[in-house]
Amino acid sequence: MEEMNKAYFQKLARQLMFDVSDEEAEQLREEFKILNKQIALLEKIDTENTEPMIYPFEAETTFLREDQITQTISREDALKNAKAVMAGHVHVPKVVK
Amino acid sequence: MDITNMMKQDITQRVYDAIEKAKQLQPELNAVVTFVDVEEQLKQLGGIPSDAPLYGIPVVLKDNVNTKGVLTTASSRILSNYIPVYDAAICEKLKAAGAIIIAKASMDELGMGGTNLSAYTGWVHNPYDTERISGGSSGGSAVLCAADVSPLTIGTDTGDSIRKPAAYNGVIGVKPTYGRISRYGIIPYASSLDHVGYFTTTIQDAAKALRVLAGRDDRDMTSSYEPVPDYEALLDQDIKGKRIAIIDNVQEAIQDKAIVESFNDLTQKLEQRGAQIEHVRLNDDLLSVLLPTYFIIANAEATANHSNLDGIRYGVREDGDSVEEVMINSRTKGFSANIRKRFVIGSYSLFVENQDKLFRKAQKVRRLIVNEVKAVLDQYDIILTTAAPTIAPHPQDSVDEALSDTYLIAENHMIMGNFTGYPCMTMPCGFIEGMPIGIHMMAKPFAEQMLFNIGAAIEAETGLKGITAEVKA
Repeated sequence: MEEMNKAYFQKLARQLMFDVSDEEAEQLREEFKILNKQIALLEKIDTENTEPMIYPFEAETTFLREDQITQTISREDALKNAKAVMAGHVHVPKVVK
Repeated sequence: MDITNMMKQDITQRVYDAIEKAKQLQPELNAVVTFVDVEEQLKQLGGIPSDAPLYGIPVVLKDNVNTKGVLTTASSRILSNYIPVYDAAICEKLKAAGAIIIAKASMDELGMGGTNLSAYTGWVHNPYDTERISGGSSGGSAVLCAADVSPLTIGTDTGDSIRKPAAYNGVIGVKPTYGRISRYGIIPYASSLDHVGYFTTTIQDAAKALRVLAGRDDRDMTSSYEPVPDYEALLDQDIKGKRIAIIDNVQEAIQDKAIVESFNDLTQKLEQRGAQIEHVRLNDDLLSVLLPTYFIIANAEATANHSNLDGIRYGVREDGDSVEEVMINSRTKGFSANIRKRFVIGSYSLFVENQDKLFRKAQKVRRLIVNEVKAVLDQYDIILTTAAPTIAPHPQDSVDEALSDTYLIAENHMIMGNFTGYPCMTMPCGFIEGMPIGIHMMAKPFAEQMLFNIGAAIEAETGLKGITAEVKA
């Protein structure tokens, strides 16, 4: 397992598409010490033959609907909150250099 | 003022009075993010039957409720310019019931906190003592109800985010059953734990509000098909024979003697009214892992839910030379340090190599905790506990949703309501040093009526029906 140092947390943050400062990475290192203690407590709980609980209730509330258009928004609405728009599309920096 | 009494006043007057009061209190409370223009809404009232349950009643929404054409920030910098192009399901329901939305209320950033100290617009102050916190994450909504701005304010609750601030601010906080109120159009935090709920000052208003807000919505895949009763018409404060369980190992964790005494005094009164009060214990090992179980599940789900906040299609975009750089810069500046750290923790528990050990393990422990609670509620009508273990603290003394070496059962027991999805309600039961304290109830799934009925009896005992705060500048 990789050492949980500053570089490790900064690499994790980059995978989530943001940066953490040196100070924040240090705070994360401290928080992970506590997290690991808590994980040890969790590990003590016997969960043999227990299924993960993903949602509170298992009653069926979803179904396959007919393949019909039910809800749409206009292109204008879809682009309303974008900072840069060009020719009816969200405009971003050039992808193919 | 409750809804019934407010209905006796002139509609336009009461709506503008509410806005004026919120504006006057804003320097002291800092509870509002955005005031909503009501003129068009008042015109629309013409098309609503005048006997609609919330006809012309000023209502406040937490700022994670999407409102068409109205700034919706979730108190985060990254959404500080976001104007939704659609209304959340509850907006539609509130408007159909005649409600007038007057303001969007402050919250912890993206709902991820319990103090309201992390709001992008600054912390929210408690109306009973403005040096103290409101609690969170629905702090602004709790405060605006407590300060008598609006008799109904909307909140959301992922890990006691309605119920803790309700206790700190002396109002009723309702977190109904998971699936009872549609979450369509709510900016999410953790999908398996998120609930929509609300604040009122009377049980009657709480009953009235749920009938308006509840019901199946195909746009929310977790929305329930359970029929919605007329809770208000069915209110009955006769609690003879009602079976009430007190969880001793939660109560033993409460250190404040005055709060314990107040709780014991109330349970005696309920017993005198004919309720059967009995003491039970939950498994100590399971109680000791409430917080890490919550922390792992909530942060993992939050990391995934907020991966769409990148500044590209909406939200605050920072410049960069590539799409990746735009996203990285936008997310780095858009989220506070605490949120980014929590995303790192959430993501860590979702790594393939950690999933079984962390995320799946937490989900399994969640099931064991839920089984433990269910076993109690198979025998009893409600579980009754103290809500918060202290009065609202000062900012420097507050405990947020963070991991700790201590178990913090007293601070975190209400999370069980989110694990189970069972309906819960906090309500005021007294005052200590001029600050409100609250009790917490949990009932069987979809048994909100039981909460309201027992709540009505408690309201009659405490005499705190409709209580609000006089804010001192």
